Amino acid sequence: MSDQRDMPDEQISQSFQPSAGQAANNGAAPPHADPEDLVLYAMQFLNREQASATASHLAACAGCREELARVQGDLATYAFTTELESPPAAARQRLLAQVAREKKIVPIIQQVEPAPQAEPTLHTLHALPALTPFGRGGSILNPIEEDEKPRRSAGLAVFGGIGWAIAAGLAFFAFTLHRDSASLRGALASHAGELQRLNADAATSHQLLDALTDPKAIRVALTTKPEPKVEAIGGVTYNPDKGSLVFLASNLDQLQTDKTYELWVIPTDGSAPIPAGTFHPDDQGNASVIMPDLPKGIAAKAFGVTVEDQGGAQTPTLPIVLAGGLG
Amino acid sequence: MYRETGVLNIPQPSTEDDPSLLARVRRGDEQAMASIFDRYSRIVYSVALRVLRDPAAAEDVLQEIFMQVWRNPEGFTSAKGNLGGWLTVVARNRSIDILRRRRPSDPVEDVVLASSSNLAAEAERNSLMERARSVIATLPSEQRKTLEMAFFDGLTHSEIAEMTGDPLGTVKTRIRGALLTLRKAFQS
Repeated sequence: MSDQRDMPDEQISQSFQPSAGQAANNGAAPPHADPEDLVLYAMQFLNREQASATASHLAACAGCREELARVQGDLATYAFTTELESPPAAARQRLLAQVAREKKIVPIIQQVEPAPQAEPTLHTLHALPALTPFGRGGSILNPIEEDEKPRRSAGLAVFGGIGWAIAAGLAFFAFTLHRDSASLRGALASHAGELQRLNADAATSHQLLDALTDPKAIRVALTTKPEPKVEAIGGVTYNPDKGSLVFLASNLDQLQTDKTYELWVIPTDGSAPIPAGTFHPDDQGNASVIMPDLPKGIAAKAFGVTVEDQGGAQTPTLPIVLAGGLG
Repeated sequence: MYRETGVLNIPQPSTEDDPSLLARVRRGDEQAMASIFDRYSRIVYSVALRVLRDPAAAEDVLQEIFMQVWRNPEGFTSAKGNLGGWLTVVARNRSIDILRRRRPSDPVEDVVLASSSNLAAEAERNSLMERARSVIATLPSEQRKTLEMAFFDGLTHSEIAEMTGDPLGTVKTRIRGALLTLRKAFQS
């Protein structure tokens, strides 16, 4: 029912009319493309050959370019009929992060913004001159404006025209160079940023590798276990004939304030141990008993250290915390 | 409460028009790029999602298209129509490319559309949506379905003809007829 073939002919013809400029130039204008094919072209449904032929035609036919633009506008309107879905919140962050990574180098000379067109519905695929046949807006190529200029001699007009043409060409060339330069600078900045990040990553990796493989590096294993306790040790130098004794000890545990260490000489004849002096270790666990008051001529078979109440004892109290014998 | 910071801290939408934002993007203004994204990301994502039916792939299209705007804002000028419409058409075409596993067929800069709609304001976009949906709802079901299969499903006129058994010419005229109906409704 609503197929175009069911539509009134005037509706179809109104929807696709050649431009005024083209109508005035009907003799040279190519025949218009099939409007249905333009829709298929806009939707990218033509095969390569068809699309290429249509593109060639569009390059030469302003009317078809206008119709194509209208079709694209129709498609854009239709796109808005889709159900709206919000993108993931991370999408915005992702985009802005990428944008930040591709920071632009702003050229010193700012590009001149093109003046907005009075009629936004007028569009072409290519150059501005294609818009001018409609006579909307001024143009240096507009013959009406040319007619309004003061008359000059033919030679001046020719040289002036050449000058303007050269100037216009140079301006266009400069603009093209500037645009390309800005584009290249943007790409360069992007790549430079990426290279800097990769270099930083590589440097970190090298440092890590060096730290792990350096032969001068020390390696220490850390565990949760407590450090092994160092055993207490002591040594006695004893001369029974003179009754002289020197005792040096280290790594002794600290005792309660009401306790003391006591050194004993164990005689060889089996008699009771003889107390040889009390002592307290210093903060590092070191202690000594130097030349205690001992009887002479007591042969000793062993020495021992016990823990006794403050002031010492006359008989040793087990256990013996340090012990050493002769032979 | 949210009274002081705005609802859920969503940034206030920019009221600046699209050409001004694009001019700022050309100068490397990242905030302007964020404003453009906030304005059009929903419709671009929705179109891509409708075509691809894959959130991750749709997000990739979203990212690609907005990065295209950032990298080459000169590619879009007011001579190519309104930015919102341009983005939706490009989103659809890129999604179809992905669906068909083909390389991008046309430079996005070649997409030019005639549209006088100003979609910078959310109210305008909502109005356009409602009007477009109401017009499409008036179409005969076979015409509506044919346009949907072509635009959102990416089926070519030949594929649609094969699937529905309709003549190729009928499929082509249905598609164009539906678009003309839409056009005329907005012209009136």
